[in-house]
Amino acid sequence: MATTSRRRLIRVNDLSDAALAELFARARAFETGEALPGGRLQGRFVVNLFYENSTRTRVSFEVAAKRLGAEVVNVTPAGTSVAKGESLVDTVRTIEANGPDVIVFRHQDSGAPEVIERETKAAVINAGDGSRGHPTQALLDAMTLQSTLQRERLDGLMVAMVGDVIHSRVARSNMDLLPRLGARVRLVGPSCFVADGFRDLGFEVAHDLEEGLRGCDVVMMLRVQLERHQGVSFGSTREYHRRYGLTKERLDRCAPQAWVMHPGPTNRGVEMTDEVMDDPRCLVRSQVEHGMFVRMAALDMLVSGGAA
Amino acid sequence: MSKSMLITGGHVIDPANGVDEPRDVLVGEDGRISAVERPGVINAERADKVVDASGLVVAPGFLDIHVHLREPGGEAQETIETGCRAAAKGGFTSVWCMPNTNPTNDSVWVTRYILDRARESGGGIHVHPVAAVTKGLAGRELNDFGALLGAGAAGFTDDGRPVESAAVMRTAMMHARDLGATIFDHCEELSITGAGAMHLGPTSLRQGIPGIPRSSEALIVMRDGMLALETGCRFHVQHVSNQESVEAIRWLKARGARITAEASPHHLLLTDERVGEGETNAKMKPPLCEEADRQAIVAALEDGTLDCIATDHAPHTASAKARGFAEAPFGIIGMETAFASLHTGFVVRGKWTLRFLIEQLTSAPAKVMAGAMGEGKGTLGSGAPADLVLIDPKATWRFEERHVGSRSRNCPWIGETFRGRVEATFAGGRCVYRVVDAGASLARAASAGT
Repeated sequence: MATTSRRRLIRVNDLSDAALAELFARARAFETGEALPGGRLQGRFVVNLFYENSTRTRVSFEVAAKRLGAEVVNVTPAGTSVAKGESLVDTVRTIEANGPDVIVFRHQDSGAPEVIERETKAAVINAGDGSRGHPTQALLDAMTLQSTLQRERLDGLMVAMVGDVIHSRVARSNMDLLPRLGARVRLVGPSCFVADGFRDLGFEVAHDLEEGLRGCDVVMMLRVQLERHQGVSFGSTREYHRRYGLTKERLDRCAPQAWVMHPGPTNRGVEMTDEVMDDPRCLVRSQVEHGMFVRMAALDMLVSGGAA
Repeated sequence: MSKSMLITGGHVIDPANGVDEPRDVLVGEDGRISAVERPGVINAERADKVVDASGLVVAPGFLDIHVHLREPGGEAQETIETGCRAAAKGGFTSVWCMPNTNPTNDSVWVTRYILDRARESGGGIHVHPVAAVTKGLAGRELNDFGALLGAGAAGFTDDGRPVESAAVMRTAMMHARDLGATIFDHCEELSITGAGAMHLGPTSLRQGIPGIPRSSEALIVMRDGMLALETGCRFHVQHVSNQESVEAIRWLKARGARITAEASPHHLLLTDERVGEGETNAKMKPPLCEEADRQAIVAALEDGTLDCIATDHAPHTASAKARGFAEAPFGIIGMETAFASLHTGFVVRGKWTLRFLIEQLTSAPAKVMAGAMGEGKGTLGSGAPADLVLIDPKATWRFEERHVGSRSRNCPWIGETFRGRVEATFAGGRCVYRVVDAGASLARAASAGT
């Protein structure tokens, strides 16, 4: 089954409904062991080109590619000609000359994957661009919910995303994906992180955490980039935690049945307390596990195309 | 001395002199307008050469009071020669170039260099350097305004940046007032803009592109307007982008400030939706805003709150624009497409008369630039320099890369079909551009039924 005419996973919406279903099916098959990964990408060459720091996403892609039998090369700006001032386009042309099958790409600028796509014949997977998108994160979040709830569609589900929505690529990809699966999305956070303008794009907006939590089935906490925002976007981390930190009491009072998610890495004691992190309702570990299967499925579909 | 020339059979639109009728134009050997008369009054034998302008509109050459020619220092993007070629293709015969070159035009030497290069390579287009307000555009130390004016600078701006300090701007305005000069400002509160790369609105929220809040521009329009009121300085707001700024200018004008303002073709025609998924040729500062802003700018130009059109022609290399949106530079080229895009967008649709559009490109900017090299320009009055443009309002044509005169190609209009075209441009009586386009000529012949 074809994914798109161009082999890419830059935006969630590069996947048709059929391709989306296929991707989840393959990921589940890898998870259950129905599909064996060995050798599916034998002789293929995957480049992880990461302009921003990453541990979990880069490792997850690397392990996924290796389990499928691909050769993986990691390229990071430090220690390459990027540090010598080479432009993005020139770097990608250099990589292209080595004939990669897939470039897994992370960059600080929204829209950068579309720029490099013009320079390569390889399939491009977006592993996070600026504040724009991180499609495999949204896919793993959705798969985590599907497997937790034991259903493919998420109709009727209310998902509250809490925190720095305006700067969050995780939020944007989930805002693209979750409504396609039937879920509703509510954005919760201070005005500097959750602009009222999001209402015009079809999302609910709340600036008070408890109000935002009421009636939701899933609380998706977003990472606050402390290094960037403290003293600028809000006073102190204590102030942020007081107003928007998820505590067990708040969860029990406002949405006792809700599942809790976080894309990581977590600022413990800021976005959420240790108690919530370790609560059985918290799906963080399950998210990481599903990440690898989703990425295996994405690599497999983009490279080999045909059915699992 | 060139030869005399009679332009005959055309329809003259000369808003400065209230002419909108068939007229013949006689250009003297001195490169100046010698006479403009009803058809047949001027004997063709008086001219060395006759230009048949049947079916064409004859208008004063356009003035673009806001362009970036990039020379010196940015020759990979544009030179004075290529910038003047772009001007000629767009019907512009006089341009005012901004000082954010390298080195900055903050000295007599750079001002003179630009004027020399324009004489050597400008092909007859009149180039007027606008010098920097502060040394190196750094916003701290004022330049020598008197010396710069003496060297030929037309006025002062730190365009590309605002003058950040209100106190520095206030002092600059006092000196400019004493010297009879105008201060032009790129109005932007940098602390509000931050890392913003486009208008903060639906498209930026959707695309995750850092947004520029609308207050960024209006705050500095108001600040500088208050300073202009206080100092009595002539102050010009460059490239107005949103309705708040329009309202501020309206209020300041009502209070008696000596304030003028310009609108760019892109702010008159496009909105932030044009950015789509990150089109870097729709990235400029100030950014494209929303439809209500676009409409407010159109209405303000129509009611005189905004005073003229200027392109903010800003060339950038293809490799500089081939980046993600936030990292690509701000700016698009605009001289080649200004007339055709606005004619298509407003005149063809019956919203403006052709005369209004021509006025906004000729007598209106000349008035804004009175005291800044604008005198005697934008008119076909007797004795004025014979800067002329011949326009075919009926030509339908597709704007392609080969129509670009600039060295750069950062233009959102490539591939667009326009109605109305500059057929020829004359500067000082000399032809500096004429269309060579068989396909379009055929289209014109067809539409004329010949």
